[in-house]
Amino acid sequence: MAKQILHCTVNGEAVEVLVQPYVNLLDALRENLGLTGPKEGCGTGDCGACTVHVDGKVVASCLMLAMQARGRKVRTIEGLASADTTLHPLQEAFVRHGVPQCGFCIPGVLMAATALLEENPRPSEEEIRYGIAGNLCRCTGYTAMVAAISEAAGTIASQRSAR
Amino acid sequence: MSTMKTTRDVKGVGISIPRPDGPEKVTGRVQYVADIQAKGLLHAKLLRSPHAHAKIVSIDTSAAKALPGVRAVLTAKDIPHLKKKAPTRAHAVLAIDRVVFMGQPVAAVAADEPSIAEEALDLIKVEYQVLAASIDPLKAMLPGAPPVADAGTEADTSEALAHSAVAIAKSDTPAKAVNISQQARLQRGDPAKGFAESDHILEKTYRVPMVHQGYLEPHAVLAEWDRNGLLTLWASTQGSFNTRSEVADVLGIPENSIRVIPVECGGGFGGKIRALCEPITAVLAQVTKRPVRYVMTRREELQAGMPAPQVIIKLKTGVKRDGTLMALDAETVIDSGAYSGAVLAVSAVFLGSMYKWPSFDIRGFEVLTHKPSVAAYRAPVAPQTIFAIESQMEQIARDLDLDSVEFRMRHLIQAGDPMVNGQPWQSNGAKQVLSRIAEHPHWKSRKQWVTAGTNGKRRGVGLALGGWLGGLQPTGATVRLNPDGTLAVLTGQVDIAGTNISLAQIAASAYGVDTDLVRITTGDTDVAPMTGLSAGSKTIYTVGAAVLQAAEDARRQTFEIAAAELEASVHDLELVDGKITVRGAPNKGITLATIGKKGNLYMSKTPPVLGKANPAFTQQAPGFAAQLARLELDPDTGEVTLLDFVVVQDVGKAINPMGVAGQMQGGAVQSIGMALTEGLQFDDSGRLTNPSLLDYRKLTAADLPNLETIIVEVPAPAGPFGARGVGEPPIIPAPAAIANAIQNATGARLTELPMSPERIALALVNGRH
Repeated sequence: MAKQILHCTVNGEAVEVLVQPYVNLLDALRENLGLTGPKEGCGTGDCGACTVHVDGKVVASCLMLAMQARGRKVRTIEGLASADTTLHPLQEAFVRHGVPQCGFCIPGVLMAATALLEENPRPSEEEIRYGIAGNLCRCTGYTAMVAAISEAAGTIASQRSAR
Repeated sequence: MSTMKTTRDVKGVGISIPRPDGPEKVTGRVQYVADIQAKGLLHAKLLRSPHAHAKIVSIDTSAAKALPGVRAVLTAKDIPHLKKKAPTRAHAVLAIDRVVFMGQPVAAVAADEPSIAEEALDLIKVEYQVLAASIDPLKAMLPGAPPVADAGTEADTSEALAHSAVAIAKSDTPAKAVNISQQARLQRGDPAKGFAESDHILEKTYRVPMVHQGYLEPHAVLAEWDRNGLLTLWASTQGSFNTRSEVADVLGIPENSIRVIPVECGGGFGGKIRALCEPITAVLAQVTKRPVRYVMTRREELQAGMPAPQVIIKLKTGVKRDGTLMALDAETVIDSGAYSGAVLAVSAVFLGSMYKWPSFDIRGFEVLTHKPSVAAYRAPVAPQTIFAIESQMEQIARDLDLDSVEFRMRHLIQAGDPMVNGQPWQSNGAKQVLSRIAEHPHWKSRKQWVTAGTNGKRRGVGLALGGWLGGLQPTGATVRLNPDGTLAVLTGQVDIAGTNISLAQIAASAYGVDTDLVRITTGDTDVAPMTGLSAGSKTIYTVGAAVLQAAEDARRQTFEIAAAELEASVHDLELVDGKITVRGAPNKGITLATIGKKGNLYMSKTPPVLGKANPAFTQQAPGFAAQLARLELDPDTGEVTLLDFVVVQDVGKAINPMGVAGQMQGGAVQSIGMALTEGLQFDDSGRLTNPSLLDYRKLTAADLPNLETIIVEVPAPAGPFGARGVGEPPIIPAPAAIANAIQNATGARLTELPMSPERIALALVNGRH
């Protein structure tokens, strides 16, 4: 099968990659672009470890063909922090609350949580729980995760009002 | 002005300090096996058996070998030294002439791309002659059942030894049937007399299906050989030295020629202790002379991973009307799948040891079936065992109208009481955690809360107690003083949950510096001191003890150097704020940086500080947890909504309370899943009917409430700073606590997991509750 050229924006940068037409977005990100933050936990869209944003919406990148991202804006965990040295308030809260144990689900959870807060800046605990319900975590039991997301929502809101 | 710090008030043990690799984990920069880039990398795939039991008549790999991009296609005959009587799953690298479970690897392919390897699998032609299979363990035990193991295969008890060091006399009676791979019997007193004198006899059979550990990162390994015959394995493992030993044994090569690099492990929970895909990946790399990576798919994990065993426990209890315990009769059947290796002894010990039964007869059988073989899963077989005994205790209390906490408390063991194997219980906090949870407002207010239910929903509150004996394993650690006065700690401990920060805190407190001056490294098998598994709730208890001793050794060496430099006695010195001074003469001192520098100076006569410890252990430290569930249940649909969940746990000493709470929450949720939704479902042919995470239902954030954690500290006499193991106790009581809450809500006693809406609704209909 002939490879195709994929033009899209990944983490704010225009990229051009050659991919097989049957390759999914997750493999294109990981293998072609070296962005190994998104993980494959199931390959069937059930675990959420591969979660990225496409045009600001949460997507299981293992279920989307890479070529479907043509002309669209893709954001991965690597594009979450604004610079190498600073962390996004959600990332910072996850570290301080000791959320990551094995860490494998964390990039996906953070992408789901970011999309949630962009849509709903002050979610209730229940809304947070439903917002990350597509992401399985086997280590934490979610309690610290929910607390960290709730706290980060407050931080982001106060940063916004301070501006 | 800086405050003066002495050894006693350094920022070390007892503080919640976030793990230093947190930023790497939240930015996606941490590298797991599947993330590693390697030049010339090949991708492996395995052809797996579509039958639970079949003879392999022929295999034709010619078409697969001819596919462009395929670098190797292997079957059992290509691998020398394969043992026909494979004693463990790892030894059964590829099936030789018979497959014994659906999903067993039959052929292996290495190719340039994963898609090419997959295409090659389709081109391999295998002719099978299907044989009758043993799927149900109770039928597999009967004489004449289709045999699983080749005659003469040894039972594998290494898992039991690794996990809990439970000594139990092996039964002398020879196995009655061909599929009983291990059996044990423990007896005391005269149970027949005990039952005859009992007022209340209760017989129940409890069933728990196979469940998967559920780690998010599937098994993965990358193998590469160099020209000198040195094999390097980048492994997702819970114990790199164990992986090295197993791979060396399977491949028949010296351990010295294998280097295992423990890559970040995306969860293990017992499922990544034993070797699984490492040997075949190593062979593919050897044959192709290229680095080869194998990553299991989720489907393969569920169909052919190493889940927890199916457990069936038949209990008969006899008590007096006032609740006096008289006799216990128990029979445990553990379905180990196609290979031996379940921890039979743990179940037997906990069935009879948590409460003081004056007479008992406990029989345990490990049975082989044509299903994937099992491995450890966080406190192996303890949640299943405690589900049985804690459901039974609650039912007895209910039947006799006794207070369920007082009834338990009256018969609960204490330190010094004999376990069923005759060994004495070590110091533990069983009573403390049970009384602490009984004081909880959710327990005290249960009657009012239950009756306040609305919308036709029924409310229930339940609790249960469970424990774990605590594992032991010899282990090593070193602590170096760097030339700038910071400390470097080295172990081989695989850090999954955040144990390294706790070990650093132990080193800091023992040496006398703040934790931020300590850096801890997990070394590979070429550089680290021999270190045990990250398993058995023993990392902090054993590796923590080694780090503690190594840090004390480093401190002693540092003080001896300082004493010589300051011309003072070691006994007159103190370490404050990174400087060793003579007591009462604060101006006379030497900094740790100066001592560190002298140890690395050309022509220096000062030895470099190198603390080391390599302890072995004899004294276990049991860890107990009590858990409480408050739930609402829809009697029409059987749907359970968990509203509150409380975990009380004795951890001896919380080295890092935040990390401890994370273990308590995570462990509890795993077994809440076991209680309500999880179970590998096999049909009569041995086929897994739910091989995806859509059908194998793990709990999501939306299924759960916030978990409340209450830490109790009953110091372990031999634990570092009094610490006990933390990882396993929280997974133990939840299924029983939830079953007890369901009975409180409905009157129905559920005896089979998972307690799905269907099972609950059926129980309500059948029991007319």
